[in-house]
Order: sequence, then structure tokens, then C-alpha cells
Amino acid sequence: MSHHWLEHTAELELQLDAASETGVFREALEALGEVIGDRAFGKAVSREIVVAASDRAALLVGWLDELVFLAETEDLVADAVERLELDGDTLTATVRAHRGQPRHLVKGATYHDLVFERAGGGFTATVVLDV
Amino acid sequence: MSDATTFAGLRRLDETLWEIPADARADMRVPARVFADRELLAEIVADRSLEQLQNVATLPGIVGAALAMPDIHQGYGFPVGGVAATEPPDGVVSPGGVGYDINCGVRLLALPLTADELGGRAEALVDEISRRVPVGAGHGGALRLGGPALDRALAAGPRALQVEHGIGTPDDVEHTESAGCLDWADPAGVSERARARGADQLGTLGSGNHFIELQQVAAIIDPVAAAAFGLREGQLTVLIHSGSRGLGHQVCTDHVRRMDAVLSRYAIALPDRQLACAPLSSQEGKDYMGAMAAAANFAWANRATLAHRVREAIARVLGPQTARGTRQVYDVAHNVAKLEQHGGRELCVHRKGATRAFPPGSPDIPAAYREVGQPVFIPGSMGTSSFVLVGEPAAMELSFGTTCHGAGRRMSRTGARRQITGTELRRQLKSQGIVVRCPSNKGLAEEAPFAYKDVERVVDVVERAGLARRVAKLAPLGVVKG
Repeated sequence: MSHHWLEHTAELELQLDAASETGVFREALEALGEVIGDRAFGKAVSREIVVAASDRAALLVGWLDELVFLAETEDLVADAVERLELDGDTLTATVRAHRGQPRHLVKGATYHDLVFERAGGGFTATVVLDV
Repeated sequence: MSDATTFAGLRRLDETLWEIPADARADMRVPARVFADRELLAEIVADRSLEQLQNVATLPGIVGAALAMPDIHQGYGFPVGGVAATEPPDGVVSPGGVGYDINCGVRLLALPLTADELGGRAEALVDEISRRVPVGAGHGGALRLGGPALDRALAAGPRALQVEHGIGTPDDVEHTESAGCLDWADPAGVSERARARGADQLGTLGSGNHFIELQQVAAIIDPVAAAAFGLREGQLTVLIHSGSRGLGHQVCTDHVRRMDAVLSRYAIALPDRQLACAPLSSQEGKDYMGAMAAAANFAWANRATLAHRVREAIARVLGPQTARGTRQVYDVAHNVAKLEQHGGRELCVHRKGATRAFPPGSPDIPAAYREVGQPVFIPGSMGTSSFVLVGEPAAMELSFGTTCHGAGRRMSRTGARRQITGTELRRQLKSQGIVVRCPSNKGLAEEAPFAYKDVERVVDVVERAGLARRVAKLAPLGVVKG
């Protein structure tokens, strides 16, 4: 699994690569933590996340939005996926998070140039985050 | 190929206006037009902003042209600096045409004091503002609203705070675009998630390019308009840049998702999912307009609360009399969709990273400014000058009464960080006599001045185009950054 940030004039464009679909979602959590979670501390807590959407790409947007929501409303920086399942149009997950002082940098994940597709033997996705 | 009349596929219409004709792509309904000079155009074509502008030109019900101001840069869905007017009932409203930070905008305060009179107290004042305004991470906006009190702020904007919390003055409210209240706001349309994100964020700055800047009036360019706005050379001003915070972001998220799911119901095909939209007459369109207006009112309430904190800081450092004499020049929105009359038609004007700039005589601007026109504030990049402009008549014919909103980015955040560290930028700004308070070195480096276009060139273009003219130039003394 890997991620890297593509050049974008004003926002953050993220490319995710993984061997499996669930791996793309796990890698997205890692990448977001890199942007917002530079001062996480405190006791670990678990949070359940459920997202429903019409396709995998929209599920990825919903997943990132859920992680942004956790950071903004509870100061929780999700730093690990304990469980993640994809069932039809629904994603269910348990994430481990630490309370901290996340940067309120990301406003939301967008549908702009949104891609989630097979590539080689695995999957690739790109998503633009509004900052 | 380029010559005097063309540039990278754009046709020159006049000195500052360039066009991609409607037949450039089969799905474009109107031309795409950009206000720029050749130098700015060379920067603009370097990213994908014009492709995004052409995408905007495909929206159902768009009239005239998809327009771009000279500070245009690549965004998501709409480019930043984009303007689109659609006609009800079948024309669409697109949440992406407003953006996530609904009613991100700027508010200018003028102090009854000059920079000379401030003397060596600039750093103390910036520090005091920094202590009173939560930035970037964390909560603690001090004004936590929930239930009916939040509903009233969503419905009435800063007027509700003035009446219930003593924040701001009736004069502040009067000197705000739309008097700080879009009266079609529907607080019931703001989701519980949006409320949860915004409940404790009134009076918080946020991250990214948001700031509070202490400035002095470095030059008066139009003495008559400057006098009307109450500005004189050497005077201290404070420019506040923030928006609707998490509440507005969630409103956009909720409605992009909802419209994305019903595009086929309205037989709408789009080149970019982020342009998700629905007819203004549809339930989805009406619901978005109601929720967006509520978020816009929340943004005005946020900037009113930030201005209140600035006045508290002024009272502590410079005395209560100076705080009482600090008046609001005006407050303008950069990201909003409003129903307006243009050419005898009611249109929904989307402005994303663009400023309303109504000319003299408009009934929609405060009585005190009606003879000179609407004030517009154009922040420069950090460490460079900002400008006060005033709306001109040609804006109504050329740009639906709109002008630019800032310098406009020209370099990515990672690109900026590759060229300078936050520590080095702090040192450079300090050597220019500019006090900087920012919790994140990384965030500071991302906002380096060279990451933006030349604001003087941007302002020159809108002036030559007849959209707005210069009134005063403001030079930075200190900045609190999110």
C-alpha cells in the first residue's frame, strides 16, 4: 500500500494504491492522519464508522468525510483501522483514534477528478481534498 | 500558437478579456471568458483552471458566459475565481459553485488611530488578538451556540448576536453585504452533523489561508471614495478573513452528495461529479439554497464574533475609547450564490472566490456608500499590500456585478514548502517589520507570498476592465494566521 500527494494549485490531491479495495481505504486513513494529525496524544479510543454510497469512489469520499468529522467534533485523529468491511454499497469499520489537536485544514473530500479503479493487480484511487 | 489576438486557444475580445468560444467543446452551452493580461494568462494556463471553467459552461441554464476573474486558479468543480449565473426555474444551483467554505469572506475594520500613534505597540496588539482568537486546531471559540440560539444565528446572522450577546453594533450590521442576512435561510435544512461541527466555532479563524491582519493605509488613490469609506492615509485597519467553518463545510458535503445521487432524475450529464447540481425549482435546489443561506449567515456571525474579539484586544492594548471608535468599513462574501436582478432577469449568481462589486446608485449597498459604490477588499499575499476597491458600472454588464477576491494561488502547497520553511519565512517577515503569529510552521510556509500571483497586477486588470477601481492601498504590520 502507498499514497502520494499530486501537484494541485490550491487543494490537496491524493493518490492511493493498494492490493485490495479495503487497502485503499486503510491507506486513505494513513494519508489524512499525515495532514491533520501532527499533535495526537492521549488514550486510544475506538469509533465505529458506517458509510453508504452509490459506488466505491463515493464511499471513499464518505470515509474521508467521516474521519474529518471525528477530528473536528471530537479532536480525534484516527491512526489505525481495527476492522474494515465492504459489503455492497456499505462500508463498516472500527478505527482506533487518539485525542489531540488536529489541524482543521481539510474542509471536505470532493468528487472532483474522483477515481477508484482496478490497476495492475490491485486498486488505485485519486481524490481531491478541499483545504 | 499565439499572436496579438490569441493566446493558448483563447481569443482576445478586448484589452483585458479573453474567450474560449462555446463551440470549443460540444458540451459547452456558453463561452468561457477570463479577465487577464498576457502575464497573468501565462500563469493561468499553467494549471487546469480553464478546463474547469469550460466545465462550468456546460451547466444547465447558464446564461451569458462562464466567467473567471484574473485571480483564477485550479479548484475542484468550479475554478476559484469563477462566476456563473443561471436562470430559474430550470437553471441549476451547484453547491460546488459556492464551495465548501460557504461565505468565506473579508471584513475591514478602521481604527481611530494612525500607525505613528500606535508606535511600538503593534506586537502587543497582534499578540493580544492571537490570545483571543482560536486558530487552526482546537475549539474554544468561547461563544457556543446550540438549539434555538443557533437557529436564530442561522436565520438572522450577526443581528441575532448583536441583540442577544452584545456582539457588534447596528452600524456593523448595516455595513455588511446583504446586512449580514440572506433572508431565505432555512435553519431546519442544516443537518445535525453540520450543527455539531459549527456549535463551538463562532469566533474561530480556521486554517489554510484564513487570517487577521493589522495594517496601515499606505496610500489613498481615490480621495472621494476613501473619505466616504472613512479611510485616511496612515490610519490603522484590521482585515479579517474567515468563513462558515465546519458548519458550512458540512452543508456543502451534505448537498453535493444528495445532488450527485439524483442527477439522472433531472437528466443532467456533467463532465465533473463535483459540479453536482439540481434545478433551482427542484426540492433539492430549494433545500440547498435554504441551507446555504443559513451557513452564509453563520459565516457573517463568525466574522462579527472575530471582530468583537479584535475590539476586545484593542480595548486591552490601546484603550476602550480606541475600541469604541473602531468602525466596520464593510464585510463582503467571496463564496456564495444569490438571486439578483441583471438585465431585467432574475438570475442565480454563483461566486466562488469572487466578490460582488455593485456600482454607485445600487439600492443593495449602504446609504452612506451609495454615491460612490460598494467597497471591495482584495487581500494580497502575506507580507504584501492589500487593496480597497469600489464597484464600477461596467461590472454589471460584464461580470454580473463581480470582481476578483485576492491575489490567487499560483503554486501548490507542497511546492511552496519545497522552497521555504516556516522558520525562514518568519525571519523574512520579521525583517520587513511584520509580526507573525501562526501555530504551524508547515501551514505558514504553504502561504508564502511567492505562492500567489502579483496582487497589483490582478487589481490593475479589474480596474482596466472597468469592474472596480482602486481606492486605497493597505500595508501589513502584523498577521495572525490559522
